[in-house]
Amino acid sequence: MLSRDADSCYWIGRYVERAEATARMVDVHYHAALETTLPAADLDREDAFTPMRWASLLAISGSTKDYHARYATENDRDVIHFFVFDMENPGSILRVWTGARENARSIREQIASEMWESLNVFYLQLREWNVDRVLAGSPHEFFQAVKNASHLFQGILNRTMLMSEPRDWLDTGRFLERAIQTARLLDVKYHDLLPVYVTDIPETDHAPSAERQPNPYGVGGPLDMHGWIAVLKSVSAFEMYRKTHHDGIRPASIVDFLVLNPTFPASVRHGIGRVEGCQKRISGNMRDEPTTDPERLLGRLRADLTYIRSDEIIRSGLHQFLDSVQGRCDDVGRAITRTYLSY
Amino acid sequence: MPLFDNYQTNGFYDEMFQPDGQPRPHYWKLFQRLTGLSLEDFRRRCQLAELTLINQGITFAVYGGEQGVEKPFPFDLIPRIIPADEWELIERGLKQRLTALNLFIHDVYHDQKILADRVIPRDLIVNAAYFRREFLGADPPGGIYVHICGSDLIRDQHGTYKVLEDNLRTPSGVSYVLENRIILTRVLPQMFRDLPVRPVDHYTTQLLNNLRELAPEGRRDSPNVVLLTPGVYNSAYFEHAFLAQQLGIELVQGRDLFVDNNIVYMKTTKGPERVDVIYRRVDDDFLDPLVFRGDSALGAAGLVNAYRSGNVALANSIGTGVADDKVVYAYVPRIIEYYLGEKPILDNVETFLASEPTQRQYILANLDKLVVKAANESGGYGMLMGPQASQAERAEFAEKIKANPRNYIAQPLISLSQAPSFIDETNMEGRHIDLRPYILYGQKEITIIPGALTRVALRKGSYVVNSSQGGGSKDTWVLAHDNASLSQQRNGMSQMMTGTGMAQSLGGMTQSFGKPAPTTEPEGGS
Repeated sequence: MLSRDADSCYWIGRYVERAEATARMVDVHYHAALETTLPAADLDREDAFTPMRWASLLAISGSTKDYHARYATENDRDVIHFFVFDMENPGSILRVWTGARENARSIREQIASEMWESLNVFYLQLREWNVDRVLAGSPHEFFQAVKNASHLFQGILNRTMLMSEPRDWLDTGRFLERAIQTARLLDVKYHDLLPVYVTDIPETDHAPSAERQPNPYGVGGPLDMHGWIAVLKSVSAFEMYRKTHHDGIRPASIVDFLVLNPTFPASVRHGIGRVEGCQKRISGNMRDEPTTDPERLLGRLRADLTYIRSDEIIRSGLHQFLDSVQGRCDDVGRAITRTYLSY
Repeated sequence: MPLFDNYQTNGFYDEMFQPDGQPRPHYWKLFQRLTGLSLEDFRRRCQLAELTLINQGITFAVYGGEQGVEKPFPFDLIPRIIPADEWELIERGLKQRLTALNLFIHDVYHDQKILADRVIPRDLIVNAAYFRREFLGADPPGGIYVHICGSDLIRDQHGTYKVLEDNLRTPSGVSYVLENRIILTRVLPQMFRDLPVRPVDHYTTQLLNNLRELAPEGRRDSPNVVLLTPGVYNSAYFEHAFLAQQLGIELVQGRDLFVDNNIVYMKTTKGPERVDVIYRRVDDDFLDPLVFRGDSALGAAGLVNAYRSGNVALANSIGTGVADDKVVYAYVPRIIEYYLGEKPILDNVETFLASEPTQRQYILANLDKLVVKAANESGGYGMLMGPQASQAERAEFAEKIKANPRNYIAQPLISLSQAPSFIDETNMEGRHIDLRPYILYGQKEITIIPGALTRVALRKGSYVVNSSQGGGSKDTWVLAHDNASLSQQRNGMSQMMTGTGMAQSLGGMTQSFGKPAPTTEPEGGS
């Protein structure tokens, strides 16, 4: 397979997944924020904060600076425009979908024509939308349409692509991006809880107890719960989480589910495992030992995610852990490029 | 129903109708079918075809507009029909022409006998923009330079076919021939049943065979054939991707290729893989930065030397543009006589050369009657349509001609034939058309697919058919035989049609669009 074609498949996988992840994140954030008004008494507090702030979304996508260079305030309209339609934002939905479409166009002969068509048709629809139309109607409906377009694409891919190299490249991109996005999403939550209120409660003691009334803004408080549920919902994980963990909304369980669970399709561990499988099929490696750089990095990351416990992660610092996982995923991406795509 | 009720032939040669308003014999059955359709029904089929084009992204990029503007190439559903005897003439004429042009190119890059014999002025050739002196003496496989040719034909007011120009470098448009046919068989399948329409879908098979034959010695068993495209922003990118898919070959860009020790490789995920034949859709100028334009990233450094060493084949060869220069075009009838000793079967359009003093005087004095063309422009750019141009535009061209006479030719404005086209989704109007058949020159023989791209100038009164200038296309039907009974079947028509399963299948289609069946049976009723 041509390296450039493989590269295009890889990026189509990443871009479509990224469009979906961005849609999920903005959707859940927008709707969760509707219900997190502060009690009137706290509005004037200097350190008052809203648990669901656009600032955390901007921070976590690494675009705070870029955003503030072009927009004055963090209002719904501007932020949604930035994340969805702003062609100058390299992560906006329109921009990544355009990227996926351009890549698909350059390898039309490699993929099923229905796959190209699904990307093209949604691209044409996306160009008909703008932020005012999204806000005037039901924003959720719009974000649902983005997710559906991604699902349609994935569905056609699953149904039509040969079980061969191009598919493994598409999946490499898709699952690597999914692992990164899930790690990021958890990081958003961490970012939200960073301010003052968190510090006075020990992290291991989450369950609200009868003796102690929890701080409404602190860990275990109603706003905290609301935030965690939003995180789960944004990866369609809430119901599956409930089925798996019966001990309520506990950060350790959530980390366990979203990061370490090998069976949940949006978990970091699952994504990394799938990428490793794709890479081994691409190199033709049937053994446990790695034969390429990407395999070595992926195997090591998978092993870490397999053998670490969620309470260990929390004790040593969730943000640090998620940050290192994202960094290691980026290393995998670079190793893939070096090994196969631009040697 | 009234699709053709207000149709006018406007005094032009009309492909479908005789001057008396009767359909020509080879159009009769189509006419019958079409008049059986309601306006609504026909309109819906047009929309279905257009939606297919947009959703599949069968579009071309428009240069000079906003970055990334894509338009579908408008597709007019009324096919253009060519009877078997006319096609036979076209086929013979084009084979003769391509044979002579290939001999001419070979001569120009070797002995230059035709220049020594003063049939063509030497300075005209050596100063031609597409003359590649770097390529003198090189020998392409089998002595063939032009493997794929697309010549543009027109019909004048008498219906006579004439050659307007030859495209010997990287002719495009064949994908529309194939796609138009696929779409038309989907949206108007019934029309095909009545006529012996020759298939066109073997084009890619023939092309692939020809390309594989070009592979270097020792690589013929399983040659690696690729299509080289400039990339997604090229106006013909859709075609490149389409052909690569249909041929089952890799679509490569310059950055996928590299040359090592005069061997061309492409970068794959399994390491470098040798390339044997390149169907290139990149102009000479951009093929190799070491030989041609140094700033080009569309080709591969060292490609020309690899080609000269015989380690890779190119289709078309380098330097073919010397023969599709519009000035050289004027000499093609003499070229045919010089190499083949035959009279041309297909005539040129009368052409005046600005490089000849007396002809230049004539051109300058008659700018309001002539079409002036720059020697090496295509796509309808660099042209003056004298009769329709303003005084200022004509004056501007006069200056250009005086400044660089070698670069201009002029031709009388030909009243191109017209064919019915569906305009504004409301009625049929005559629009001017041309014809571009695709000719493949293989090691053993020249073949032409029985079909062609018919381009149509959709703007009222326009003679410019180029897609960049508001042109569209039509499916082109070449008939397998001109059964004399075609015209005699007029009366027996309705009888012949009823009783077949066809009325039912057409009724079924109409219903599936959510409309009640038409009150008149499409076949004319029983």
